[in-house]
Amino acid sequence: MEHLEKLKDVWKDQSESPIKFTEGDIYKMVHKRSSSVVKWILIISILEFVLPNIFILFTDFKSTKEVYDNYGLNNIMIFYTIIHVVIIFGFIYYFYKNYQKISADSSVKNLLHNILKTRRTVKNYIYYNLTIAAIIGLHVFYVVFNSDQFINKLPENTNMIMVWVIAIIIFTIVLFIFWCFYRIIYGFLLKKLKNNYADLQNNEYCT
Amino acid sequence: MTPELEKTFASELEKNQSIIHKVCRSYTNNESAHKDLFQEITIQLWKAYPKFRGDSKFSTWMYRVAFNTAISLYRKSKRNVETTQIYDNLKELEYHDYDDSKDRQLSLLYKAIYSLNDIEKALALLYLEDKSYKEISETLGISEVNARVKMNRTKTKLKNILNP
Repeated sequence: MEHLEKLKDVWKDQSESPIKFTEGDIYKMVHKRSSSVVKWILIISILEFVLPNIFILFTDFKSTKEVYDNYGLNNIMIFYTIIHVVIIFGFIYYFYKNYQKISADSSVKNLLHNILKTRRTVKNYIYYNLTIAAIIGLHVFYVVFNSDQFINKLPENTNMIMVWVIAIIIFTIVLFIFWCFYRIIYGFLLKKLKNNYADLQNNEYCT
Repeated sequence: MTPELEKTFASELEKNQSIIHKVCRSYTNNESAHKDLFQEITIQLWKAYPKFRGDSKFSTWMYRVAFNTAISLYRKSKRNVETTQIYDNLKELEYHDYDDSKDRQLSLLYKAIYSLNDIEKALALLYLEDKSYKEISETLGISEVNARVKMNRTKTKLKNILNP
């Protein structure tokens, strides 16, 4: 390692950087917008909180209400909506608390940990959305497929098992596409951070 | 934040900018990315400046924020990826008049550091700056024992890159 020790002198003697900024340049930089990964995480997370709920705004409330009335789904849907809203606010609260802890002057490991924790809240939120969609979907299928209105519309000798299988396959494909889309965004944003965090974690158990 | 505070900050940073340049040169491979990273570090330093109470030296605090930005916060923009040549030309041009052998050694050292992973880069810089294990462990947020283990690995890796 003697060679490296000698290089310390070369390092210390290095002349000023070929790129140099004046006080005026720095003053201007202070007012520029950050393009940090945390900013993107915030923007994408807000979209992920908002988008699943925006779909509801585009639904035809009147005809949806009619369907609910027809199949006796009103109370079930009110129940799920209340639970959903309470859980969303819980997630937003945790996200905000974690986001506040992100600070560029903490240690490298702490910063990585806090960014990943903040993002994990959104990851769990997405998983929650997929799970609740699956539960509500199956519940609605169950009620609708067992209703007289639905059965009367089907051709005679329809195999109900086939109806269930087709419904579940289509539903699973839709949820899977959402999940894949989310994994791409998640991986794209966090690959570097995850690798660096894993690097810092290595050997930590031996202390 | 007041204009006076902005002025104090800009003046302080102008005097200590060599620290950020060392980090930028270690984490980027071209002039444009260097400038981009410098700007992002400056923005992060400014955001954190009101919380800086002088418990540690300004330079130590700057290192911490600079590493955090380079390791966790900075995202390379696409336009910076394939312009290595410009940076090399600039180095050749600017360093030409200085001691050639030292300049070459320094250039090779930077290239070797650049080939390390993000955490090793930070360790290499902290080693070259002669920082104590206590300071290294505080900057990275790991135990001193772990810092020693990682530092030894990084030094061996760096040595192997420089003397294959």
